[in-house]
Amino acid sequence: MAPVPPGAASCGLPSARPNDRQGGILDERPPKRVGSIDQEPGGVNLVIQSVGFGLVTASVLALASVGLTLQFGVTNYINFAYGTYLVLAAYFAMALSTRAHLPFLLAAVLACLAMGVVAVAIAKGVMQHFVSRQAPLFYLLIVTFGLSLIIENLVQAIWGPGFQTYNLAVGSPLNLGPFSLTPTQLIIIGLAVVAMVAIHLMLSRTSLGKAMRAMSDNKDLAQVSGIDTERITTWTWFITGCLAGLAGIALTVTTVSFNPTSADSFLFVIFAAVILGGIGRPYGAMAAAAILGIVTEVSAVVVSSTYKDDIAFVALVVVLLIRPQGLIATRGKA
Amino acid sequence: MDLILPYLATLAIFFFVYNILTWGLNIQFGYAGVLDFTFITFVACGAYFSGVFALGPGQKSTGFEWILGLNWPFPIALVMGALAAGLLGIVIGLIAINRLRSDYMAIVTLATGTVIYGLVSNYTPLFDGFDGLAGLQTPFSQWLNINYNQFTYLWVGFCAVVMVICWFIAQRILNSPLGRTMRAIREDQEAAEAFGKDSVRVRLIAMSMGAVLAGVGGALLMGFIGAFNPAGWTSGETFVVWAALIVGGRGNNWGGVVGSFVVAVLVNEATRYIPPIPGNATLIPTVRNMLIGASLIAVLWLRPEGIIPEARRRFYQLPLLPGRRTPAEGVGSAGS
Repeated sequence: MAPVPPGAASCGLPSARPNDRQGGILDERPPKRVGSIDQEPGGVNLVIQSVGFGLVTASVLALASVGLTLQFGVTNYINFAYGTYLVLAAYFAMALSTRAHLPFLLAAVLACLAMGVVAVAIAKGVMQHFVSRQAPLFYLLIVTFGLSLIIENLVQAIWGPGFQTYNLAVGSPLNLGPFSLTPTQLIIIGLAVVAMVAIHLMLSRTSLGKAMRAMSDNKDLAQVSGIDTERITTWTWFITGCLAGLAGIALTVTTVSFNPTSADSFLFVIFAAVILGGIGRPYGAMAAAAILGIVTEVSAVVVSSTYKDDIAFVALVVVLLIRPQGLIATRGKA
Repeated sequence: MDLILPYLATLAIFFFVYNILTWGLNIQFGYAGVLDFTFITFVACGAYFSGVFALGPGQKSTGFEWILGLNWPFPIALVMGALAAGLLGIVIGLIAINRLRSDYMAIVTLATGTVIYGLVSNYTPLFDGFDGLAGLQTPFSQWLNINYNQFTYLWVGFCAVVMVICWFIAQRILNSPLGRTMRAIREDQEAAEAFGKDSVRVRLIAMSMGAVLAGVGGALLMGFIGAFNPAGWTSGETFVVWAALIVGGRGNNWGGVVGSFVVAVLVNEATRYIPPIPGNATLIPTVRNMLIGASLIAVLWLRPEGIIPEARRRFYQLPLLPGRRTPAEGVGSAGS
């Protein structure tokens, strides 16, 4: 590979246009990391570096897409307001940490739990009405589409349309083998791994997880077997909300600053991961998130950071055309 | 009077344009059941292409750059814009419409719209990126010597003529065998396919026809405003058309008229002239957007068919079965 000209290393600098694609992990990269790339010019190093950032993106994406796919599997309709859940939780955390002066970790935990409660409240208050009347599928799609508009504008009405930040020290990057990542990024990767193990244990060892898998496979059969589907659905929404909260806070910590539309373009990277993994398949979503996270970040270096979400879209289209049932096939879900 | 008349004329233009847009979405969703969550992208396509056909060539040195720039008369540019939108409809339809779950259709249209939005905004040689097209001469100005107010009234008339043409197209499709096939596919795709209907092809036609109407609407907006940029077609704008269709009633074009009047004119456009609240300039737009989202949910909750429901179609019954007994009853009563 040809040596990368100095200008190419600036792909992570905040873009000149204020309205540029928000929600990208690379868009607002802390300047220190860019400096560390400049010290070792060379295309191969840059690509290896971007694999490191890809792990961070993959972690955020895994949290978000596992949350969405669990709910998609159990309730059997997709939630178009999911992106705004991420943003809402980020604003909760911001309000609790910078306005109410709680320690950031406590604020983040409280924000995730609050998002879980909000998700349950929305499901009970709005979606339940349509589900219990067995309304056509498109009703729910339009309803969640409308919800996303309401939540996004509610956030904007309360906190304003401008960019917000957490008061967090970025920390100097640590060199770990070929990668150099900040402590915050390492925490995010660790958090995602812990969350994935916890999800795995929940799905395989607890009665709640088994009931969720049963409902995902066949809701009627699960109900006939004596599973309290309403209770399981409620818990699913709570877990989805918490995971959306975690993902939203992790996403906004890595992008440093965020505004009410920050998760708009990230939402369909999540969709891509969910479909690539197979609907309702948490393990598939984890694998797909790892692939998509690394592919999008590497492509940001090789192609351009402006178009890296488009790579996720291309992946989505290719999957839909070639293997719509996802990496791991699910019977009856395509 | 000097202020009210041009204001009403502007509202009339938006009403006519939103009528066309709502009928376009009605063809896609109301007739054929295609969940197009990026309708505004087709409107933008029509606006951009009519713009670059009617505008002069862009000059890179002055910071204005766009493709084409042919200086064509506006009516022809409008047709080109509509055709471009129709082509885009086929392209997006080819990706989105297959025999999979309807969620996929919604996801893919939304994702395609986001990608196109990003490309158009960031890639300036196409349509000048975030700055967008600007500086379009008022249409017909090369033939007529009129001031801007007179142009507004002229544009009301032009939009009305175009709207009537679109009405006939939409009604013609609705009452044609093609429209019947579209409704059959909407109601039961598998049954329609069992009768030999090619559901993918029919839905592609619906997608493309709806996109053509969207393109016409976009071109009319372009001709009226003279400028168009990405701030004018954020995904929130798609909600306005969706809310108009759902509130007014889908599957029939009168519902679209009512919906576009209530949602697009009364809620969306008329409130733009309320002066902003000092200290919180974005409050009115956010409340307006929340109202539009809430109206979608409220109508689906309380009156899912909309203000004007789709008429139940009656078919001629053969007068062979007096009392219209079911075969089982017929057998039971035969012995008595």
